[in-house]
Amino acid sequence: MRPQRQPLRQSLAAKVILSTVLLSLGVVWLTGSALYSQLSDGIKRVNLESSLADARSVFYNARYQFLLVEGASQPQIQVQVTDVITSSTTLGNTDGAREIILLKVFEKGEAAKNGQQPNYSFASNGLLATTIPEDLRSNISKNSDLSHEFAPLTYRTGKTIDALYVGQRVSIPDSGRYDMYLVFTLASQGATLDLVQNSLLLTGIVLLLLIALITWLVVRQVVKPVRDAARVASLFTQGDFTQRLQIESNDEIATLGNAFNEMATSIKAQISRLENLSQVQQRFVSDVSHELRTPLTTLRMASDVIYAQRESFDPVIARSAELLLAQIDRFEKLLQELLEVSRFDAEVAVLEPTDFELVALVRRCVSDLGIVLDSPESQISVVAPKTPVHIRADFRRVERIMRNLISNALDHSEGKPIEIECVETRTEVAVSVRDHGEGMEEASLTRVFDRFWRADPSRARTRGGTGLGLSIALEDARLHNGELDAWGAPGDGANFVLTLPRIAGNEISGRPLPVNPHKRSEVKSN
Amino acid sequence: MTLVMVVDDDQDLAEMLGIVLTGAGIDVDLVSRGDEVMEVFRNNPPDLVLLDVMLPGLDGVEVCKLIRAESMVPIVMLSAKGDTQDIVAGLEAGADDYMVKPFKHPSELIARIRTRLRRTNADVKGFLTIGDLAIDVTAHEVRRGAKLIALTRLEFDLLVALAKEPGRVFTRDSLLSEVWGYRHSTDTRLVNVHVQRLRSKVEHDPEHPTIVTTVRGVGYKAGVVGAS
Repeated sequence: MRPQRQPLRQSLAAKVILSTVLLSLGVVWLTGSALYSQLSDGIKRVNLESSLADARSVFYNARYQFLLVEGASQPQIQVQVTDVITSSTTLGNTDGAREIILLKVFEKGEAAKNGQQPNYSFASNGLLATTIPEDLRSNISKNSDLSHEFAPLTYRTGKTIDALYVGQRVSIPDSGRYDMYLVFTLASQGATLDLVQNSLLLTGIVLLLLIALITWLVVRQVVKPVRDAARVASLFTQGDFTQRLQIESNDEIATLGNAFNEMATSIKAQISRLENLSQVQQRFVSDVSHELRTPLTTLRMASDVIYAQRESFDPVIARSAELLLAQIDRFEKLLQELLEVSRFDAEVAVLEPTDFELVALVRRCVSDLGIVLDSPESQISVVAPKTPVHIRADFRRVERIMRNLISNALDHSEGKPIEIECVETRTEVAVSVRDHGEGMEEASLTRVFDRFWRADPSRARTRGGTGLGLSIALEDARLHNGELDAWGAPGDGANFVLTLPRIAGNEISGRPLPVNPHKRSEVKSN
Repeated sequence: MTLVMVVDDDQDLAEMLGIVLTGAGIDVDLVSRGDEVMEVFRNNPPDLVLLDVMLPGLDGVEVCKLIRAESMVPIVMLSAKGDTQDIVAGLEAGADDYMVKPFKHPSELIARIRTRLRRTNADVKGFLTIGDLAIDVTAHEVRRGAKLIALTRLEFDLLVALAKEPGRVFTRDSLLSEVWGYRHSTDTRLVNVHVQRLRSKVEHDPEHPTIVTTVRGVGYKAGVVGAS
């Protein structure tokens, strides 16, 4: 059912044509039926009238003929009866327009004479008297006038046909009274009615087809511009704003087309205005960052010179020199990250993939943070496959992601152990960094990658993170077509999982390490 | 005493660089415009040029090309841009090394300058051959047959580093530490660019190198002796 319905729902033309045809079918049906019933009534009435007139003249003629032979001899009367029968019917023609039946009426008390009186009863084509409707027979006996009735006529062969029975009583001299029936078969009337019906049906079908055709032509006129508009609109969606609708007329469709084209022009203008604006904005951020670098270099060198001399200063100034240098460090880091963020925003961040070994990189990132690995008292432990994990990725970015994740874990670990785990599959590699610190609320998880977002604003920063680290890490991961997931629970610490395609830019098909560390242990124990 | 030419349009930074370098026992010549560099350079040839990229008058990359056309003096670019294309443009114009502002530590700058001024491979003496090249390490000359090939100090050091252990595969990291004196840098673009430059000078066909060959996925090595 569905695949048939689908195109119907999708095509406006099909919908309009179908409903028009259905409605027209109703109208044609109604008018056709009315017309047919009127026509058939008329035909039947005309037929009946002419049949009755016919019958009347036949009966009149019969009575007159029989009057003429009043007192004649029996053979003469017999000839006359045969004559009347012959003249009032078409003998020998089975499908003839009319049949005749002549039935002798046996009156009460006449039975005695029955033997002497001749019986001229006759039926054309060997019709049986039983075919005559009972009602008509009783009608005739009561009524001296002409009586008629529609009833089926059954031949001896079993053939049945609609017919009009007209009957009247006549008298034949020396024989008594007879019921005389003329049976008009309605075969020709039926044929006429069939013809009328067929013509009406044919006309109706042709009319419906014509209506469908006309509707299709009209709908096409309306739908074509709509289709064009839809096509152009879908091109707009793909970012092509150069397309315009062709306007060839001066009607409502043209108005629609004009409005559509104006909309396209205005959208295009708006987009280029916004693009321009955002370019200016990004350019500004980048320029500011660059311009800040030169004074910062001077500042840095100057403070370094002062710092190198701090032993000869008074303790307050010496401490100030230390703070100065530390803050310049922080400022510099912030500037660097801002510049990186502006590159992501401007979509000019480029991946520079090289082949390297991931575990060595992770271990170096840990040792760069001043932590000695593989000693019993070390806070961080690394679990990795025995064999080297070679990947193709942007070394600088992966290094930055790992640094950010590890220093973030250190920031929130409260001195508890941190576990780093590396796994590899045929197509992906994953590194998880798990701490057992204060953890995060579920609501925080969606925000940890937001810029400058802090789980607890009242909490002091311990390591001077810039607030951009995780956000940049996420962008770095996505630039590889990888993903960075976060998990956390209050009091249960947090877990960050970096998943990268083995070759940067390929799609990742799954997560070798689930972000929820408890799920992973379940999987393992199974 | 060593003379370093500092080309930077920022007066304060130039002065600060002067203070730091002087403090390290290095003489400093300050130039603030790109189009003034060549005149000062010719009048008083320095041992090393510290060159900013964005300069009034003439762009740092252009200045670098002008200096290279006349001299093999070590050039260290200073750039406020960390973008790859700027760094590569500077290196391709002939700079030996670059530093992105702001420097991690002023001492890092001094260390880089000293590395560029020092003779690396000081332990290597006499003659080396690599392919059909003859290297006179002491005289600092490279010849193919009778033809002298002019190399910058850095290119020469790179060639000697490779040639003194023919057949050994050097990773880019190990070349960075041996030739540039970096202990911890991962910027292998320096190596790539300079290998390309070196090849363009010493190879018969730089597209199909035989002297400095690439070992895919690892690094570089000197071509087998005698091969040509």
